[in-house]
This record gives sequence, structure tokens and C-alpha cells, in this order.
Amino acid sequence: MEPKPIDWQHLNEIIETHRHRKWGLIPLLQEVQEVCGYIPPESIEPIADSLNMSPAEVQGVVTFYAGFSLKPKGRCVLKVCRGTACHVKGSRSILRHVKKELHLEEGETSEDYQFTLETVACLGACFLAPTMMVNRDYYGKLNPTKVSSVLGQYSKNKEDDGSA
Amino acid sequence: METIVLKINGHKVTCPSDASLLLAARQNGINIPTLCYHPDLAPHGACRLCLVEDEKTGRLMAACVTPATAGMSIQTDTPRILNHRRNIVRLMMAEHPESCIVCSKGNRCELRKIAADLGVGDSGLYPMPNYTPYEEINPFIIRDLSKCILCGKCIRADHELVVTGAIDYNHRGFSARPATLHEKSLEDSICTFCGTCVSICPTGALSVKNTAYVGTPEKEANSICGFCGVGCSLTMGVSGGRIVEVNPTKRKISVNSATLCVRGHFANDFINSPDRLVHPMKTTAMTDPDSASPENNESHLPISWDEAFETIANRLSEIKRQYGPESIAFVGSPRCSNEENFLFQKIARDVFETSHVITSGYTSGHRLLAHIDERTRGAARVTTLAGLESAEVIFVVCADLDNMVPVAGYHVRRAAKKGTALIVADAFKTDLFSHAAINLQPQLNGAGVPPMSDLINAVAHAIVAEKGQGSDFINQYTDGRDGYVASLGDFDAQAIEVRYALASGIFEQVAGLVRGRKIAFVIGPDLLDFPDGEPLLDAVINLVLLTGSIGAPGAGIWVPSSENNLVGAMDMGMNSDYLPGRKKIHAKKEATLIMKSGMSDLVAAMETGALRAAFVMGENPLRSLPQTDRVKAAFQNLEFLVVQDIVCNRTAELAHVILPGAAVFEKHGSFTNMEGRIQTFEPAVMPPGDAKADWEILAHLAKVMGYPEQYEKIEKIRQEIRRTVPMYQGLGNHQQDWIRNSESDNPFLNDQAKFQFLPAKQAMPVSTDPSFPLFAKIRSPRFHLGSGTRTSRSARIKAYNGQGPVELSPADCKGLGLADDEQVRIASAAGALDRRLKQNRHLNPGQVIIPSGVNGNDAMFLAPLVGKEDPVTFGFSFSRVRIEKISEN
Repeated sequence: MEPKPIDWQHLNEIIETHRHRKWGLIPLLQEVQEVCGYIPPESIEPIADSLNMSPAEVQGVVTFYAGFSLKPKGRCVLKVCRGTACHVKGSRSILRHVKKELHLEEGETSEDYQFTLETVACLGACFLAPTMMVNRDYYGKLNPTKVSSVLGQYSKNKEDDGSA
Repeated sequence: METIVLKINGHKVTCPSDASLLLAARQNGINIPTLCYHPDLAPHGACRLCLVEDEKTGRLMAACVTPATAGMSIQTDTPRILNHRRNIVRLMMAEHPESCIVCSKGNRCELRKIAADLGVGDSGLYPMPNYTPYEEINPFIIRDLSKCILCGKCIRADHELVVTGAIDYNHRGFSARPATLHEKSLEDSICTFCGTCVSICPTGALSVKNTAYVGTPEKEANSICGFCGVGCSLTMGVSGGRIVEVNPTKRKISVNSATLCVRGHFANDFINSPDRLVHPMKTTAMTDPDSASPENNESHLPISWDEAFETIANRLSEIKRQYGPESIAFVGSPRCSNEENFLFQKIARDVFETSHVITSGYTSGHRLLAHIDERTRGAARVTTLAGLESAEVIFVVCADLDNMVPVAGYHVRRAAKKGTALIVADAFKTDLFSHAAINLQPQLNGAGVPPMSDLINAVAHAIVAEKGQGSDFINQYTDGRDGYVASLGDFDAQAIEVRYALASGIFEQVAGLVRGRKIAFVIGPDLLDFPDGEPLLDAVINLVLLTGSIGAPGAGIWVPSSENNLVGAMDMGMNSDYLPGRKKIHAKKEATLIMKSGMSDLVAAMETGALRAAFVMGENPLRSLPQTDRVKAAFQNLEFLVVQDIVCNRTAELAHVILPGAAVFEKHGSFTNMEGRIQTFEPAVMPPGDAKADWEILAHLAKVMGYPEQYEKIEKIRQEIRRTVPMYQGLGNHQQDWIRNSESDNPFLNDQAKFQFLPAKQAMPVSTDPSFPLFAKIRSPRFHLGSGTRTSRSARIKAYNGQGPVELSPADCKGLGLADDEQVRIASAAGALDRRLKQNRHLNPGQVIIPSGVNGNDAMFLAPLVGKEDPVTFGFSFSRVRIEKISEN
């Protein structure tokens, strides 16, 4: 399956609004990532051109931050917390369970671009340990059953998207 | 600059108030180790080896990024600091791979040296080498990033000095490495292979290909690059009497500081070419006609120097007696030194009494320089490249700096990066367009090159309309302003914007940008080859006068020259109409044979039999001139031909006597670069075999011919130049000096003299030819110089991109039904050639770029061998062509 195609017209509009803006690179990248879900490698050159930077410099910033990705991500990005509190509360098992359910390793995206599995150092919600995030939603006090139900909830959404 | 006092290691020292602690220490002879510091780069503070301790606070600070302040008290090598430094080096060594022991940087590796200085042997840490792909696919640079210590010097040199932006850090932490866009190999990136990063890299992460395992050069010698007119200072690494390495010089005063270009850095290996001439030679036909068997027909046999000189002296004297002195031509070279060209024209004029002296530089720049000289009264001869960086506005007119004179291009890009307003006017898009504030690129669908003079005059029109010009300069130093301003009425800025599809108000913008400022004009040396050549050059000079851009620092006219001693050859009188010191002469009537349009007249005179003999030094007309067959027949028509060169080229193959000369790095001499800087150089190695320095050969010839003056030492020639050419008073005094301006009619020195405005002339419309609808620019790509006689003998350049594709706009590719990478035939009225096609989205429809220098310089098949006296011909730089598919069968 293909990832979502890039809306070049929209992308170029975003780039144009930032043209020649000082210190504009990171806000521009954030906006592109928001719209496309990632930074399409082909967009590096137009972005660099609009801010009068060299493309290699823009790529350097993109690859520096974990928040930016050059690869397309799934519709649901799972961030399993691997912080100390979560670890004590068994987040290793939670991660193992997620991997098994989704057939994904850390950093991988499913073939149908539904899920991307990531780990983070701490989500800052230790009182809910063990935790994970799906897109912008927190899920805490996890156990394998709860994880399965959360995952089921998101894969159902996919069917909704498909029928809509 | 204020001086401040501080204490370093308990001693009171002084330093300028803007110095860093590192500079303050170094200026006072205190050594602090560094790996990421370079004097030409902004301090970065990456390697942390320059840590010093503030005695008052106990803080550790990186000396390179800490400003020195008055009253500071600093320690540079306490046990605590040494411990820190050792730990940093230990960590670097733990990450370093085992291949360190066979690294080609070997004993010059700065990391290894610092480790030894600090007494770090075994790091005592668990080794965790960072294996990254080893890249050596290109013939120039080996990238072994497992040896990278992340000092960022390569990246900073790329951004700050060369301003290309090919590489930057990718990722972070342990996996951070310098990378190209999309982590492609260097040849698939925008890297120009200038090699600046290789010379600046402190470890073996970047090294020069081919030098692996040749060992550390035994000695280093300074020299000057012999390719383009920038005249970069080089340091040659010599091993076993051969040059194995070239780096930018470490000398303080140079044109190029830490930068070079691909030719200077990597193409000088041509001097080790097997084609080098090592003996004087004579055609077999001359020595013994019987031995000329079919298989060694036209071949040459080695002879002694004495025999060579005797043959030349006898034959040339005979021809002079029989046909008169004007039947001999002396073809000198903008690649030979000032001393050699001076002696050469002296032998021609004094010994053989001919006025036929010429170089290829006549067409490629001398006419342009002479024209500028005449209109500026010699006041624009010296313009420093460093001056470009202090300019207020830079205006580049039809000059492709990045291919012709890359290092001059760096100066312009650096200036633009620092905020100098850059205006670029060119019909063909160049690399500078992306650095410019305003680009003036006329659009004329299908018509190739519109008259650029219209644009320059429109700029002047807009400036006058805005009253943007200063009046002091014009009133004090110029004449004819009113007539000029009246003539600008024909160049209404708005009308021209419409005619050439330029953005509305663009000339107003230009006028606004230059208001009240002086401009540095950089103009292409082939300006006169444009369809509207002379009106264009006059338009530029009028604009120079209108803006008062002369006689002030950071303003004037910069003319990039494609050959290293183009200016020197002219100053030394290698011209039928100029004596040394640019003294115009009105020659005898019969001497005007080759005066009008240079090399094409020379060939014509050989064809008619007006010329019977020629002495060619350092030129290869059979490769550099169009219509090779015609040129070959003309040279074969000669009764006697002497060729003095360093490699056995096509012209040498026709010679009756061949004399082996020496390359730049093998002799004494001096070059005058495009700035007017006279740089002297000394040999780094000996010439191969029996080859001799060219000036020695000429001096010997003069002696054999019975010339009373003896030139046993180069100093003798220099003395004579200093005495007879006032412009060159400073020659040989120091490693470098400048052309002196002492023209008596220079308006800055003489109240009576004035610069003359000329009325702006309407360019003649260029007729189009439906059978050759495309307009081709013939230029050598960055990797080659001129006709490529030398660069095509460089093993590295040969290994890279042999043929050089012809470039066409996507619209034309589509219109002609041609695909990328397809083999096509390019035809002009003069000839045709086959090449691979490449789409270039930067070209306008109707434009073609044909690289010269490559593939035996076959691009010259497309140009006609005619001079540029006729306003509808284009010299050798442009041609009207058509491109067609090569049919399958």
C-alpha cells in the first residue's frame, strides 16, 4: 500500500508563506510535518530555496530532531513510554505486547501505513505508568488487555476511514 | 585597535581588544592545541582541546570562542586541563578505526600529533569504532568518515569559504556525520570537488585519491597555479622528485587563502603525464628521408639541444633572407611567464625583425582589456579580489565565474553571503543567480541571446531618471555626460522590461539598490563575442563612469581571465599592436597581416603563403582553434615550424623541431593575474629528462643567433623588464607586487585629462537562421581549462565524466522529441559533432550549452574560424546550431 500522496500545491503554499522569513526553518518544517505527516525528502530543496539556505543545511536540521521524520508515518503513531517509572511498572512487557500485536519493531511502520511504533524516554505522566500515546491521546495504567482494546479501537477507525 | 593587558600562565601579555584567548596566547608564543580551529573560519568550539582555566573562577573555557578581556588571568596547561585534554583525545582515539595505522594522512595527521604530544598511547577504553561507508567512487576525494572527529572544518569551509552548501551534519550524537543532501555520493551532489575540505581536514577522514600510500611528501615547495587567471598560491608536496600532492598555500598573503578549485587541487597531475616532452626532437623527414617508412611516417627522433638550436637558427635565418622578416610569426602564450613572453617578443622583434607576434589571448581577452584601458586611461588595471568583499554593490555582467575562475566566484559568493548587494545580468543562468539580490535575465523565447547592451543602458536610464548618480565624480573627472544622457532616451527602462519579459519595475529596483553607491563590475572576458559586443562593453563602461565606480576601493572593473598570464602576456608586448608596457604602436604596413582579428588572420596568412615559418611557444592552435582541418592544412603549408611545449600535442606533431619546455612548477618566473598582481615563483621539482625552462631555451636561442645581450639568469630578464616597462617596476622585488599605474593621461593624476562618456548605441539586431534555430554557448566546464590540452592529460580529470554532455532546456527537449542521455548530433554552419544530451532546467528555450575542452575539444567544430570584426559573428564562444536525433540505423 502507498502512503498518503503529497499535496504539492498545499505544500508549496505553506513554503511560500514562510519565504525569506528570518528564523523560519523550524516553524516551516513543523507545518510541513503537520500536513504531510512527515517531511517529504523532495521538499527539502524547495524549502531551502525559500529560506535562502543550502539543502544540506535543511536536511541537517531535519535529521537532528527526533520530532521530524523523512519517512512517511502511519495514521496512528504509537509512542510507548520507556521511562524509569513506566519501566518499573512493566513497560517492557507492554512494548513486547504491542510489537506482537502489530507485528512491528521499534521505528517501523506497518505496510498499510496504519501504525508506526516508537518509544520515548518519558511522556511526563509517570503517575499513570505504564503509559503510551497514540497520536495526541494518552493511555495510562496499561495492561495487555487494555493495550489490545486500544489497538483495536484504532484499527477499527481505519475501516471507518475506508468506508467514508 | 585598542590593546588590552591580561595574564597568561602568570606572565603579563598584551593583545588586541577583539582577540580571542587562543589568539592572545598564540600571538605571545604560547601554544594551545586545537583541532577545529582555522584562522580563516569563524571559531566553532567543537573539539574542546583548547580548554583553558580562569584562575579567578576556576572555570574551564574553550579559548577559541572566549574573548580576551582586560585583567583576565588564564592558565593554559595545569594538570587539570591536561587531564581533560587527554580524556578528550582518549575518547576520540577509542572511536578511531584500526586503519589509522595505514592512513595516508599518516605523519601529518593532527589528531595523531596531538595524541603524541599529550602522551596518549593506548586509550585504555573499550574501542568502539564508528564504521561508516567508505567512499572512493569519484577520482578526486576519498571519504572515510570512520576517521571523522566532527570538528566541522569541512562543513564550515564549504559554507563560509566556498559558499556551496554541499555538506552539513546529519543526525546527532554518535551517528552524526557530515553528509550531502539525501546522503548521496559526492558526484551526485552539488559538490564541485574544489578540495578545500580535503586540505583542511585534520585527520584521514578526507584525503586525496591516488596519494594513498605514497608516503609523506619529503618536502614542500610553494608555487603558483598555472590554470586560470586567479593565480592561486599552491604548496606542492614533493616525493622522489615528483609532485604527489597539491594544497592551498599556508603563506599569509595569497589570492585564495585556504581555498582552491578542482583544477588547481586535482588536475595538476598532468605534469606527470607520459605525454611530457623530454628531449628536443626533429622530424624524421628532416634528419633522414629514407628512414621515413610508412609506419613511422611523421614521427620524430630525439636530437641534442645543440643540434636543435643550430637547425632552428639556420632554417629561420634562411627563411628570413629568402622571404623577408615578416614571413616569420612568433606565437607566444598566456600560459608562459612574463619573462618568457618578454624574451620571446624581443627575439621576434629584435633578432628576426618581424612584427608578427601574437597569442591566443588576443581573442580571449587582450582586445577587451585594450578597450577598457583606452576608455579608463589605465586607471582600472588593478582591482583586487579581496576588494570585492568590501564592495557596496557587485554587478556581474555575462561572467560565468564558477566555471571559468571558481576562486573569484567564491569571493563574490562570500560577499553576497555577508550581505553585499549582488546584481547578475546574463542571458544564460549561472550558479551566481541563486546568490543574487536581483537577476536580469532577458527572456526571448527561441531567440537565444538578446542584446545585453539594452539591459545595461536601461539600468543607466533608470539611474538617471531617479537622479541616483553622484555628480562630484562626473563633474570632476568626466566629459560628454550630456550627450550620453540624451542618448539614453532610446533605452526607456519600462519599454525594455516589456520587450524582454522582465519583472515590471526591476530596473527601478536596481537603480534603488545602487543609489549613491559605487559598484564593482565583474564582466566576462568574452563580452566582445556577444552579438552586440562593443556596444555592450561601452554600455558597461558608461555605467562605470555614471556611478563613479572607478578609483575607489571596492569599485572598478574586474575581468576574469581564463588563462593564468593573460594580462602578463599583453603587458609583455605579445601583440602585434602593443609593445611591452601596453605601448600602442602603428606598425609597418606589411605587418598588419595578423593584426585585425588575431589567430584567424594568422591561419589565413599561412594559407596565402605570406607566412613561411612559425615559432609556437606554449600554444596548441590545432586543438584550440575552430576548423581543425583548415588549421592543420595551414600549418602544414609552412616551410618550417618550431613548437616549444611541455606535452606532445597536435601542433607539435606537425613541427619540424620540437623543444621540450618546463611546466610552471619546474621553473622560475612570474605571472600577472586578473587582479594585476605580479607573482613570482620558484621551481618545486626539476623538469623531466632534458627539458629546460622556457626562458632558458629562449636565452640560448638568442645567444646562438648572436644577440649581444646574454640572459644567463632570470634576474637579468627581470632587470630589463623593470627598466623598460614602468608598469612592472616591482617585478621580482618580493614574492608579489602590483602593476603600477603611471599613465600620464590618467584623470586622477592629470587635471587636463577626462574620462569620456560615449553615446549609448543601439545594438544591431541579430538575424535568425531558421536552419540553425538554437543559440549555443561554448564554454569549458569547471573541470577543464580552455581547450583542455593540459586538463585532459590529468589522470583524475580523465577518469571523471569523460565526454561532457550537451545541455538543452526541457522545453526544447520535448519539442525536438529528445530524451535525457540520448546521443544527439549538434550541427552548425561550420561543422557537426555527436554528444550525449542532458536536460538542464536552468536553460531558457532556444539556449544550448556545449562544453569545450572535453573529447578532444571537438566543440570547436561548431565555431567558424573568423574574427569578430563583423557584428553578426560570435567569435569562438557562441554559435548558432541545430540539434537532431541520430537515426537508429
